[in-house]
Amino acid sequence: MATIRCVVVTPEKTELDLQADSLTVPLYDGEIGILPGRAPMVGRLGFGIMKVKQGSSETSHYVDGGFVQVRREAVYVLTDRMLKPESIDKAQASSDLEKALAIVSSSPETFALKDRAVSQARAKLRLQA
Amino acid sequence: MANIRLLDKRRKSIKNIRKITRTMELIATARFKKAMDRASAASDYTNLITAIVQDLAKSGTEVSHPLLQSRETVKAAEMLLLTSNRGLCGGYNGSVLRLALQRRNEIAETIGSSPMSVSGKRGISALKFRGIPLEKTFTQFDDAPAFDEVAKIADDLMERFITGKIDRVDVVYTKFLTVSKQVAVVETLLPISSLAIDSKKVNASAVTDVASGASKLKDDYEFLPSAESILEEVVPAAFRARVFKCFLDAAVSEQIARMIAMKSATENAGDIIKQLSRTFNRARQSKITQEIMEIIGGVEALG
Repeated sequence: MATIRCVVVTPEKTELDLQADSLTVPLYDGEIGILPGRAPMVGRLGFGIMKVKQGSSETSHYVDGGFVQVRREAVYVLTDRMLKPESIDKAQASSDLEKALAIVSSSPETFALKDRAVSQARAKLRLQA
Repeated sequence: MANIRLLDKRRKSIKNIRKITRTMELIATARFKKAMDRASAASDYTNLITAIVQDLAKSGTEVSHPLLQSRETVKAAEMLLLTSNRGLCGGYNGSVLRLALQRRNEIAETIGSSPMSVSGKRGISALKFRGIPLEKTFTQFDDAPAFDEVAKIADDLMERFITGKIDRVDVVYTKFLTVSKQVAVVETLLPISSLAIDSKKVNASAVTDVASGASKLKDDYEFLPSAESILEEVVPAAFRARVFKCFLDAAVSEQIARMIAMKSATENAGDIIKQLSRTFNRARQSKITQEIMEIIGGVEALG
């Protein structure tokens, strides 16, 4: 079976570099599944869970926005942060959500900031559920 | 003769200093290797961001973004200065500071207002001593600057640039060229002059080798949601990566500077020890000779 090279890169280092059967990444508006041989694409990532399938095993990681680029030779995921699901603190996430919801947005900039914080915290909470 | 004891004491203390400087050199070497690894690990991200920007440009998207536009009238130019938290690293802080002050004078003549932000205790105290007001100070960056911390600074700069509080951002730091060459430079961070971040000097790892090799083939990319939206996100990400690279470069250069400074200090201590030993031996010998002479003189006087 054809496999796909999946590379996850953060500004600090390359987090993952492996051959996978398929992977699922959270785009800005929902999940996208990528199989080997997909047409080249650049997509904006949202906050959420990234799943990498290798044979019968599936690993998931939380990704914190960024981009995904599908090239001929590999899929590159560029994200600010990649976390293991178990390292996310639920209590911290819910307090973050409360804080984010409490932001008073008076201008487009602060609204964007609020929106970002809210969706980030919600994605973390969803992971736990 | 008290002189002998004094010489011996000095020699002992210099031997201790040599031990300390040698240890510091070894520590700096270890830290340099770690910082270097981090810097080369970080180059993958900047390479890939650059690749995305290139693909965007190739697809016919007009690359324009508020962060890319230079302003006709520059009223306020912010300067970000990267120094170290610790001393004993030769001319590292001195050369960056000299450049920063020179630039500040130039800005003061042409523009007027130039708020300064400084990272590193050394720079902070040096500028405070000169009575220069500081906008923001950071002391949390050591030999391994964290991206999250740097991103906060970058976001803050971007926000102030877009809202028009500042019209230009310069960074003064020590750029890492090769292991044997690092220079203090002033670079304009905002407006971004070009999105391509030169990262070829850090040995490209396997990940990016493939990336650069494959870009020769022309691919039609699908952009989700749209090329413009991608661009809107890519530019800030590239900026953050660039600021982060400055911090990494500064961290690597600091360790190299310390390594070299401590190496020459150790060598110098060795030279001084050699000299002191020679003087000490000569003094000891002349003292012995003198004592023998005294004894012989005493014997002769008795006889």
